Amino acid sequence: MQTLVRTEPRPEQVAPRRPRWRRRTTVEAYALLAPSIAGFAVFLLAPIVIVAVLSLYDWNLLSDPEFIGLENYRELAADERALQSIGNTFYYVLLNIPVQTVLALLLALALNAKIKARNTFRVLYVLPWMAMPVALGVIWRWVFDPAYGALNRFLALFGIDGAAWLTDSAWAMPVIASVNVWQYTGYTMLFFLAGLQAIPAQLYEAADVDGASPVHRFFTITLPLLRPAMMFVLITSVIGSFQVFDTIHVMTAGGPAGSTATLNYQIYLESFTQRNAGYASMLAVILFAVIALITLAQAAFFRKRTVYDFS
Amino acid sequence: MNKTRPAALAALALALPAGLAACGGDDGGPVTLRYAFWDDNQRPALEAMIAAFNEEHPDIEVELEQNPWEDYWAGLDSRFAAEEAPDVFWNHVSRFPTYASNGVLLPITDDIEDDGLDTSIYPENLYNSWQFEDEQYGLPKDWDSIALVYRLDALEAAGIDPATVGDLEWNPVDGGTYVEFLQKLTVDANGNNALSPDFDPENVVQYGTAMSSNTGQTDWWNYAVQNGCSLQTEPWGDYAIDAPECVEAIQFTADLYNKWHVAVPAESTNQPNGGVPGDYVVPGQAATTLDGSWMLSFYRDGLEPGTWAVADNPSGPVGSGTVINGLSNAIYAGTEHPDEAWELVKFLGSEEAQAIATGMGSVWPGVSSLNQDFADYWAGEGIDVTGFQTAAEGTTIGYPLSMNDAAFGTAAMDEFNQVWLGTKDAQAAAEAVVAIANAE
Repeated sequence: MQTLVRTEPRPEQVAPRRPRWRRRTTVEAYALLAPSIAGFAVFLLAPIVIVAVLSLYDWNLLSDPEFIGLENYRELAADERALQSIGNTFYYVLLNIPVQTVLALLLALALNAKIKARNTFRVLYVLPWMAMPVALGVIWRWVFDPAYGALNRFLALFGIDGAAWLTDSAWAMPVIASVNVWQYTGYTMLFFLAGLQAIPAQLYEAADVDGASPVHRFFTITLPLLRPAMMFVLITSVIGSFQVFDTIHVMTAGGPAGSTATLNYQIYLESFTQRNAGYASMLAVILFAVIALITLAQAAFFRKRTVYDFS
Repeated sequence: MNKTRPAALAALALALPAGLAACGGDDGGPVTLRYAFWDDNQRPALEAMIAAFNEEHPDIEVELEQNPWEDYWAGLDSRFAAEEAPDVFWNHVSRFPTYASNGVLLPITDDIEDDGLDTSIYPENLYNSWQFEDEQYGLPKDWDSIALVYRLDALEAAGIDPATVGDLEWNPVDGGTYVEFLQKLTVDANGNNALSPDFDPENVVQYGTAMSSNTGQTDWWNYAVQNGCSLQTEPWGDYAIDAPECVEAIQFTADLYNKWHVAVPAESTNQPNGGVPGDYVVPGQAATTLDGSWMLSFYRDGLEPGTWAVADNPSGPVGSGTVINGLSNAIYAGTEHPDEAWELVKFLGSEEAQAIATGMGSVWPGVSSLNQDFADYWAGEGIDVTGFQTAAEGTTIGYPLSMNDAAFGTAAMDEFNQVWLGTKDAQAAAEAVVAIANAE
């Protein structure tokens, strides 16, 4: 049986001292990185700084912006729609992430087993992720249309009176979350599959010898060893989930009564239907802060855990 | 690294001529104007007018940029912000006050004077509606009104004489002959209409009417005007849709959905994601609708000749009015080609250009003398369009004028969508809209 080596977190970051001949390689590496660093500065860093600055202005897009200090931030406390949209965002993330992650993990376990047509299934589950979200949204909107949609027509065959899925404020958000779960589960599954394939088979063989049950094996071997994949999946999908826009825009446009307007959608509404670009920038700063905090918290959570290294 | 250099040079070499061509306009060479609009229905007429324009101005190329109404304004606003707006664009009275006061429109008062343009060819109120603080900011492109569009086959099946359609009356108490008419046209899967005691409102195959509007123009505004509601205290004034006559009309609209069950359910028609009224009439889900004159070609292209017609609006307690409106062609203040843009706007506003559009049945013209041409085109198609002209007279009002149109429009859609769904009270919704729209 192989010995498990417990190491400090992120051992790969402790690099050996670099020989002199490698220095030129470093210069070349930076030269090669320069285009992407420039891209990062121009397309990410600069917009973030500009948005942060704009959040201190009153700007209707048509005339010159006017500096108003922290006024936009002060207005937020009394803005019911914006506060509602923050609540909506968390509600959406909670509907989306747990279901999507658990489903993706179960799918990965199923498609990691030696079953027939395994690769076909893998491709099928990833297909929704490859399609255009807007096009899918249009199709799903039709499926969920209460009077003329496929879903309610289908339910009617069994005598079930389907709901007004997208115009009932109780249903609209769960429906949108389920569409996005459907769309991104296959993609998330890919990372778990990769993680599963990196787990040495000997561990399971040893567990079998020790008489461990499948459930026991899952919780003591699979799950702990999937931790790096889990960390990546959770951090990226939580960020993506906080930024949801296209499905909402196409399926409900934030309605009914603002019940599906997430913070990201509220930013769009303020900026492009109300011409409050400064106020929308303030909301964008808030969204950025929320995502940053949650990502840092997740990173801290995973960093405390043990990482197993088989190298 | 070495490999990328030739590629970069090649890219630069390709980009150079393009950059030079873009500068071509400054020394009298060919110029490209970007012309933005939202109604794709009107594209054939626009293309025909531009072709005629190019006969006189072969050196001015016009590129059409179409974006649907829902995306048009956000796109335009962001391009004003980027100072890259189209040179010429369709303008709407609802946006005009904000645009004019923020200086994104080019005044054409001097151009009109220098070229000795005869502006009496336009109806005076239509021409004046594009004035702001003594400057003119556009020439009338068209005018529009709302009338009742209906399917003859649906009326025939219900045993209704089309000659009676122009005389319908409604009232907020028992609905009147108009609601009775819609009830006869609302038919369930068993063939019972909405007047029958066996009528099943959960299983309707054809509704009497379809209502949907981003603004109110093709749904509740009509009933509002017909009930004496004028939407605002006065043009440029506060919104006043919480007045009793307005709330009553909003409630009547909601009743068409939820009390009488004669309208395609709001779950399907609510904006911005529902269809336009014609989307329900053309496939036969609705028998009638109150729709805009600009949609005539939509029905022509979707329905067989002789299966549909236009009638006067129903009359409410104070009359059969509606909201009339018009568009203009405006010039972006930051255009690099103001002279060429003026040439285009001048041409599009001319009798010669608008005769092309009316000859294709596109829209009612801004030039008064061409109204008959438009009516004649549709008479040739077997459609009597005088209902739109009748609608433009009498108790009809102009489109609301306000700096707060964006706030009003968003709040109204949001609140009234809930009223149509039956989840909010008309009075509460109207008060909420007024509170938001008049706050800024």
